[in-house]
Amino acid sequence: MSTRQSQGTTLFTALLALIGISVVVQLWLLAATVDALLRHEAGTPLYAAIASGGLFVINGLLVLYVFGFDKKIKQR
Amino acid sequence: MPDDHATPCLNCKKRNARWREDFPVEWENDEYITRREMVKFLALGSLTIAGANFILAGIPHVLQSGPLPKTKIGTASSVAAGSSQLFRYPTNDDPCILIRQTSGELVAYSQVCTHLSCAVIHDQKENTLFCPCHHGYFTVAEGRPYAGPPTRPLPRIRLEQEGDEIFAVGVEV
Repeated sequence: MSTRQSQGTTLFTALLALIGISVVVQLWLLAATVDALLRHEAGTPLYAAIASGGLFVINGLLVLYVFGFDKKIKQR
Repeated sequence: MPDDHATPCLNCKKRNARWREDFPVEWENDEYITRREMVKFLALGSLTIAGANFILAGIPHVLQSGPLPKTKIGTASSVAAGSSQLFRYPTNDDPCILIRQTSGELVAYSQVCTHLSCAVIHDQKENTLFCPCHHGYFTVAEGRPYAGPPTRPLPRIRLEQEGDEIFAVGVEV
């Protein structure tokens, strides 16, 4: 395995862990939303949805970055 | 040069499990998930969860789009000072409690405790609203929590009186 490939593997693993953690946070936000809905609380679900959307955007950008990096390595 | 096949097989026991004879799936195809696939799966999962969160956040706004109905809940003469009466508003699934305070003023609240949704009851002796599940206490005058685990006040039902009849006209959360 070349150094660049090794770097790619490390990058993929790290981003995998990062995205995994943010998905767990999103699941927690979803649980908080359901909890707030059952308590007839209108404010919390909106903020939780915005935070969840923000995390998805971050995840999406990370995925785009890592696949772009992967493509660059394959081209060389 | 080291031979990969010469290394000791850590999963030999698993590979040779008896059930594998009945379900002959190739090991390599059975549990092989690349990092790329996992990243894609997590990204799709992230999208799904965010979508579900937005849909759930929209539910209260869709359900409360129109004004609440004006519903007759009883007569003023039937509620003596210091006593209470149960009713349901705005739907049959929403239990509420109407209380005439010792001062004569009528107040009404949702009967659902803001802690974990047990039904609160009116304690006439102590002049308080009491949740028997976790010993939460609310004031009768404002529905404000003053003891126990609840932190948010009870939703207040807006009342209107026409002659002897009492109507519920809205909910203040």
